[in-house]
Amino acid sequence: MAEPRSIDELTDALRNEAYLADRGLATVMSLSLTLEKPLLLEGEAGVGKTEAAKALAAVTGGRLIRLQCYEGIDVAHALYDWNHARQLLYIRTIEAGDATDAGRTLHDVFGPDFLERRPLLDAIEHSDPVPPVLLIDEIDRSDDEFEAFLLELLSDFQVTIPEIGTIRAERRPRVILTSNRTRELHDALKRRCLYHWIGHPELDREIEIVRARVPGVPERLAAEAAAFVGHLRVMDLAKLPGVAETIDWTQALVALGQEELEAGVVDATLGSVLKHHEDIERVRDAGLRELVARARET
Amino acid sequence: MPTATAGDAVVRKLVTFGRILREAGLEVGPGRLQDALRGLDQIDLTSREEVYHALRCTLVSRRDDIDAFDMAFAVFWERAPSTAPDQPIDLGFQASTEPPKRVPSAAPAKDDDRPSEDESPPVLVASSRDEVIRRKDFADMTAAELRRVRRLIATLPSAEPMRRSHRLRPGRAGDVLDMRRTLQAAMHTEGMPLRLAYRKRKLVPRKLVFLCDVSGSMEPYARAMIMFLEAAARAGRHVEAFAFGTRLSRLTPQLRDLDPVRSLRLAGATMPDWGGGTRIGESLRAYNEEYGRRGLTRGAVAVVVSDGWERGDLRLLDTELGRLHRQAHRLVWVNPLKGHTGFEPLAGGMRVALHHSDVFVEGHNLAALEALAEVLTAL
Repeated sequence: MAEPRSIDELTDALRNEAYLADRGLATVMSLSLTLEKPLLLEGEAGVGKTEAAKALAAVTGGRLIRLQCYEGIDVAHALYDWNHARQLLYIRTIEAGDATDAGRTLHDVFGPDFLERRPLLDAIEHSDPVPPVLLIDEIDRSDDEFEAFLLELLSDFQVTIPEIGTIRAERRPRVILTSNRTRELHDALKRRCLYHWIGHPELDREIEIVRARVPGVPERLAAEAAAFVGHLRVMDLAKLPGVAETIDWTQALVALGQEELEAGVVDATLGSVLKHHEDIERVRDAGLRELVARARET
Repeated sequence: MPTATAGDAVVRKLVTFGRILREAGLEVGPGRLQDALRGLDQIDLTSREEVYHALRCTLVSRRDDIDAFDMAFAVFWERAPSTAPDQPIDLGFQASTEPPKRVPSAAPAKDDDRPSEDESPPVLVASSRDEVIRRKDFADMTAAELRRVRRLIATLPSAEPMRRSHRLRPGRAGDVLDMRRTLQAAMHTEGMPLRLAYRKRKLVPRKLVFLCDVSGSMEPYARAMIMFLEAAARAGRHVEAFAFGTRLSRLTPQLRDLDPVRSLRLAGATMPDWGGGTRIGESLRAYNEEYGRRGLTRGAVAVVVSDGWERGDLRLLDTELGRLHRQAHRLVWVNPLKGHTGFEPLAGGMRVALHHSDVFVEGHNLAALEALAEVLTAL
């Protein structure tokens, strides 16, 4: 697939993948392609950061390589590890024979055959015709040490494995990092990246997104659901529902055969929009019937 | 280089714009400007939106800077009259209230050549004079005494609650078999893994979130507390500090400022509330919404420093403190008045606070702060 040349082309291509990017996001994604710089996406949960990477992979035709970060992630999980079971078996087999050249065995055992490639190595060592899209998801969950390691990787796109040598990316992968901002990332890491903050979408766009993502949704239901969630977002809640929640919820409503919002069904399905008990209580206290009525007016 | 098409005028303009952003507190180095220039080269310069985003994604790297950027962009690139001419760009530390004059840290620079006794290992009770000052209520101290306290606080062992990380490090015995090292050892024993190597969980500092009341009734204690926070914030990136009275402000960046005198003055100036009334519930709500929602409290030790004199709604305090408590690993409440003889937690807010706190300690003198550091470390 040809890489989109202009911002408009990219917007259209993303739309074909059912990802509706606004002008800002499309501009930034397009720049990250042309400038070959990693893109750091921040935003509340459920605004489509991860989806952006998936859509970009689909659009460029590159493979999506995903590294989910978590606390304690280290090189063995992210870059490479040795296949120890195979190594042991190999050594035992050699031992069983008689020709034992320790140096040779050592050389073999720490060779590419015994290397377990993890996402980062995969993204650097790829031989794909189109560069893959490397998604480093929720980088804020990893720790300082890992961030420092990534920093090095993102500056030169090369890694050194002591036993094998230095591996350099022939064509740089497209890199998208996402963060929920549970902590502030190091400035040094940010300096390597383009930065974009994704907020909650405007009502019209959210309706469009719901319609693109939930096949067969009645137009009216999409509009009312998006408006309802929009009203929730200005309430004082512990966790604001994102677009992902709007989509989930609309899917649930469609599965229940709803054509439009109805207080009873909204009450029964509130759990797919709000994930905190107090939030659900608070919304019920505020008067579901009224909220539904307000959403239906829009 | 792309500059050829971008044109000299654009370059000049961009450099000036970068300078304005730097003054507004953004970190804009030459590398970023170069990226911005390359970005401008790729887009349609007549599209306001594309120009805006090309500049924003290259020059801004944190959410909190977006507002300042927007203002600068509007003024500079669109020549829009600044909406608030008297406050062009909020630099974060130009609060309108006059800076506190009695901030003890505004001590003369000669403080730096400390008496040699301070260089000796941190034997806290160095002299009987120190002992007196340790027990003296902060409220009764003179400015000179507060200055001494500041030096003493710097010698306090840092408060560092620890937690087990998921990160592993090599150890002789431990939680997880370390195959890599086991195998390396096996090379020496003809491939027989005779000696097993392990990896064990590392201990890392737990997040510490301080929420310090700086309203009128707390004033004498808040100053000492800020000194304590200042020492704590230096310990590392795991410490976050906030001050509140009628509203909340984040202190962490000011406290980390390398020049201690300046840091305290800035911290004082960032808090427009210094010495005003208290709305604990509302301030906690502001914290929960802005920071708690992002997960700052999760797994952290939360420390609220306040006398519990709530001027606002007690029910709101109850809700928000409950929220804080549920998210935090432990909630510690520090009330300087607790150290006073005959203290009964009668203030309405204090009763709510007791209900949600895991630990309730005093904070009226140096000895109490020492104890606080110990309590925190043990959590």
